[in-house]
Amino acid sequence: MPKILIVDDDPDLVEAVTMILESKDYDVIAAYGGIEGLEKAKTEDPDLIVLDVMMPDKDGYAVCKELKADPQYTKIPILLLTAVVSKISTTRYTQQMGLETEADDYIDKPVEPAELVKRIEVLLGRV
Amino acid sequence: MASDARILVVDDEQIMREGCTRILSKENWEVVTAVNGETGLKAVKKGDGFDVVLLDLMMPGISGMEVLEALRQVDVNLLVIVITGYATVESAVEAMKKGAYDFVPKPFTPDQLRIVVQRALDKRTLQREMEVLKSEREKSLRDIATEKGRIVTIINCMGDGVLVCDRDSCVVLTNPAAGRMLGIQESSLIGKPLPKCSIDGTLTETIMESLKSAEPTIPTVSQELCPSDDASTFLRAHTAPVRNDLGETLGAVTVLQDITGLKELDRMKSDFVAMVSHELRSPVASIQQQLSVMLEGLSGDLTQRQMKMLTRAKMRAGGLLDLINDLLDLSKIEAGMVVQYKEPLRLEDLLRGVYKSMLPEAEAKGLKLKLHAKRPIPAVNGDRTNLEGVFTNLVNNAIKYTPERGEVTIRAKGAGKNVRVEVSDTGIGISKADLPRIFDRFYRVKSEKTRQIVGTGLGLSIVKHIVEAHLGTISVESEEGGGSTFTVVLPAGSQSNSRRPGIV
Repeated sequence: MPKILIVDDDPDLVEAVTMILESKDYDVIAAYGGIEGLEKAKTEDPDLIVLDVMMPDKDGYAVCKELKADPQYTKIPILLLTAVVSKISTTRYTQQMGLETEADDYIDKPVEPAELVKRIEVLLGRV
Repeated sequence: MASDARILVVDDEQIMREGCTRILSKENWEVVTAVNGETGLKAVKKGDGFDVVLLDLMMPGISGMEVLEALRQVDVNLLVIVITGYATVESAVEAMKKGAYDFVPKPFTPDQLRIVVQRALDKRTLQREMEVLKSEREKSLRDIATEKGRIVTIINCMGDGVLVCDRDSCVVLTNPAAGRMLGIQESSLIGKPLPKCSIDGTLTETIMESLKSAEPTIPTVSQELCPSDDASTFLRAHTAPVRNDLGETLGAVTVLQDITGLKELDRMKSDFVAMVSHELRSPVASIQQQLSVMLEGLSGDLTQRQMKMLTRAKMRAGGLLDLINDLLDLSKIEAGMVVQYKEPLRLEDLLRGVYKSMLPEAEAKGLKLKLHAKRPIPAVNGDRTNLEGVFTNLVNNAIKYTPERGEVTIRAKGAGKNVRVEVSDTGIGISKADLPRIFDRFYRVKSEKTRQIVGTGLGLSIVKHIVEAHLGTISVESEEGGGSTFTVVLPAGSQSNSRRPGIV
């Protein structure tokens, strides 16, 4: 089964997402911060990364940028987990996310389990 | 009947005194006679208030000429007409030089006497009026000086800065507060043309514009200024032209308020709200995430009751998340961070988008949703995302507060220099008591009918902020039970500003 790296500084969220993914039989590994996430992305060779944006040590944009700049890891699909900063500015926010990061997709926290699974399947080319 | 004037006749000849008395009394003038200079002088000195003295120059005892001089010393304004017996031009001229007002040569006719006395009385009247005017003028000048002193003191003691320019844009009045706020010695401003005063450029521009403005209604311009380079001071300036009754501009007045403290408080408040909201957001999002996972049965099978309770819990957490998001929105809007990127927008397209996105929700509730756009609709210069938010919010509200089989209608049309969008519904309406407050933050209409409707009470407040940031207005008409109509009026315009959007 594909291996998915979940990076989020909130352990409860990591656990919840892990349960969703494991229910679909994915291999899940977790990292609890940006720096740890970057390290595991390089050492664990995941098929996909679910990446939180707001993390205290290194935010998701920076992690994403670094990985996408490295030819060795640029092909790993990245799904950004964004906090809806606000309802009214959501569209703009997401537009800019598209412009300013090279993430492959993004999804708002909290995620509906079915939606998360669907997005991941699309990114992995399994649909 | 009171006499119009008092006349003193000083003559040693009885026939002259009687003759004069007879002629002058007919004119309703009161005549008093004196037989010689001494008696005449005494009568005047007593202050009997004579207007005119008829004085014979040739008398025994003190001469007429001496009496004239003495009379002038008593009252310089007293009008003396000399009667020159055996008229010689010399004595008449001498008397005039000594201050006599006129002369009558003997013998004279009654008419001659009347004319001369009448002329003297006219002069007397003018004199009196002049005195009154003079004293009134002095009093006015004193009043003005007092008033001016008072105003100067008030202006100098004021905490707000004052800057007054004349029509040539020279500074004519200012106060210590203005000097302090603008960082300039106030005395160095007086008399200088404004552009040479090295005060804030934006303010100078506004004042010059205000002096030039020819609008019939007096426009007051309010603006925020940041005169120092380090952004340590914030001022609010109100500028208005001064006009006379013909509508000509005489100058401009600017009042400056130091709003640094307010700004700081406002920033702290926004920071606080943003911080609290972020800190609240993460845990609530986490809770909702965990509940989703449990509800999917990923943490084990749930009983019917557990399922029901968790579903409720998830809904409540969702409501909390909405509230936090709205708070974040509002704090951002208040910090001026939202409406930054304006572009020319075609409202009919934007509204069609809103209509399409809201249609499923309306149909799910069995409502008819209609869109009428009456072309041509001028373009509006606005922030697409925010205006979408405004209309989505209004339509969403209309759907929420309209019972089944009702109707929600969006109407748009050009209206002069504006574009008018109405969102009306056939819903439960808003009571008179609630109407004035529905745009207030956290205000929600509480009644039996609205109990089931979820909301944060921030939506309309956000909508109003956004509309106003677009220089538009929002109003509402409603009747309890008779539906509601929200009307948004936005100025038409197609200018695009070049500022890049920042992440908000």
